[in-house]
Amino acid sequence: MIAEFHYPIRWRSFRVHPGHHRSSQTGGSDEFYGHAPLMAYPEPRHIDVHATLHDPFGQFMVRVFRQRSSVPVQVVADVSASMGFGERSGKLARIADFCAAAAYSAFRTGDPFGFLACDTALRSDLCLPLRWYKGLPEDFRNSLSTLEPDGNSSVEGLCAAAAQLGRQRSLVFLVSDFHLGADETNRVLDAFVHHDVVPIVVWSDTEYQKLPAFGWINLADPETGRQRRLFMRPSLRERFMENFRNRRDELNRICGRHGRRPFFLDDPFDADALTRYFLTE
Amino acid sequence: MTNVGFAMPWLLLAALSALIPWLASGQPPLRYSSLTVAPTDRVSTLIDRAVRLSASLGLIALVVAVAGPYRREQTVERLGFGAEIVLLIDRSSSMNESFVGRYLGGAARETKGAVAREILTDFVTRRKDDLFAVVAFSAAPIYVLPLTQDRGAVSAAVRSSTERGHGITNIGSGLAMALDFFEGRRKGGARIILLVSDGAARIEEETRERLHQAFSDTDARLYWIYLRNRTGVHLDAPPENPGESTTPEYFLHQFFQTLGSPYRAYEAENADALRLAVADIEALENDPLPYLEKIPRQDLSTYGYVAALVFLLPLLASRALEVDRWRF
Repeated sequence: MIAEFHYPIRWRSFRVHPGHHRSSQTGGSDEFYGHAPLMAYPEPRHIDVHATLHDPFGQFMVRVFRQRSSVPVQVVADVSASMGFGERSGKLARIADFCAAAAYSAFRTGDPFGFLACDTALRSDLCLPLRWYKGLPEDFRNSLSTLEPDGNSSVEGLCAAAAQLGRQRSLVFLVSDFHLGADETNRVLDAFVHHDVVPIVVWSDTEYQKLPAFGWINLADPETGRQRRLFMRPSLRERFMENFRNRRDELNRICGRHGRRPFFLDDPFDADALTRYFLTE
Repeated sequence: MTNVGFAMPWLLLAALSALIPWLASGQPPLRYSSLTVAPTDRVSTLIDRAVRLSASLGLIALVVAVAGPYRREQTVERLGFGAEIVLLIDRSSSMNESFVGRYLGGAARETKGAVAREILTDFVTRRKDDLFAVVAFSAAPIYVLPLTQDRGAVSAAVRSSTERGHGITNIGSGLAMALDFFEGRRKGGARIILLVSDGAARIEEETRERLHQAFSDTDARLYWIYLRNRTGVHLDAPPENPGESTTPEYFLHQFFQTLGSPYRAYEAENADALRLAVADIEALENDPLPYLEKIPRQDLSTYGYVAALVFLLPLLASRALEVDRWRF
């Protein structure tokens, strides 16, 4: 069963297309917007007697309502080499799970869904254009979870993806491990400033909590190709955790300044946690 | 360091392999997400460098050991006390006979040669401070060992000289060579020539003159351990029918007595004569005497292998602690 989450948003969609979310378009709904002359909105069912009697020009006035519109839901996923960490339920498999849930939730909410993948540049072979999907296509999910990522850096690709999202304000799930510097993180988030960005942080337990307690590990950075040989011991593992805690605080701070706190994608993906995240934001 | 050499010096080129630990760590890398979130650790770096250094040194030690280092042959000055004794051993074929005159072959235990070997080995082991030289003779003298204090070498020389003999007994040239050992040497302790022979030899008139001269020049003493046949003549008692060809031992004895230098003969049928000889030699007074001894070249590669083991052990331990895959 595909997980499903709800994503109530606080801003008004500009889209004309009817949907589930509050909109700035006028139309048939129960959200009162104001009054207008009958000549402008020829809707005799909505003639407001009280407003008509108050009108100094004696025109027939009608009540006007807001319409509810759809919101584009887009997932921008970082598939640079650093996302290749993990074997059995690697980061990409978790991203695929999350995308499936997002696509299905968008379908259930009545919103169009789009997917953009990028490493050093936009990966057009891994993109889904903004359409109505009945969930994520199964073969697409497979090809995403079995991808061998090899891009060097994700900053340029993410900025290119931001330009690809279009003019209309979307709900963007920005999926990455955010192993970037503070400046780069700021730059990426600035590129998405036009949209409502939900940073989804994908970390693996093995990266810091389940590191070996003792022995040599030779860490290789798949993006820079550099290696660092560390003699693991409990105190060093504690320093790993400390680093990740600091990074978490920093991400909370930076992303909060850009609109939303990040959502940390657990393993396995907990859709209800994401719903709670939207309700408490 | 100049007295250290290598059996295969070109192999030392392989010591360049000591650079290998510094080029790459042997541990296969584990894919991580990003090093920006991994801490840097001084302790790890230090341990890593130490292990690399140890691996380098281990490789060097291994290469040096394989190249076969040795200490060159050296001449060491030693101070000897006691007498300088030249063992002059008869190797003629008659030494392979038993005391009753039957030929027994070189391997038999009851031959005169075997007895001489026992006597001399005993003698050598009893006299701790003496310098020994060994000369074997049959038809011609054989230079076996110069004057040395090395007991092992002397015993081995004695053993080899009393193996299967051959040829006739030419005692004159043997004595000449034995006397040569004392030529030109500073006189320290008593000079003794210990002749082990079964006689049956005569010395030409010309040689007698030379020996006379040499004995008086070198001031050497002569001790003759006479391995007498049961039917052989006694040295002191004149034989019934004296003649150069029938009883040469008697005449040899007579000649030795006329040499002018101290001379004694022992008729050895048992170990008593030996004890007498030893007692006589011990009674002589001896001065300290410096002499040069050659030490053969020594193999030093064991040290290299031990060092390599010591240096490679940390590498083994480090290898055992490597984590080669993530536990997801």
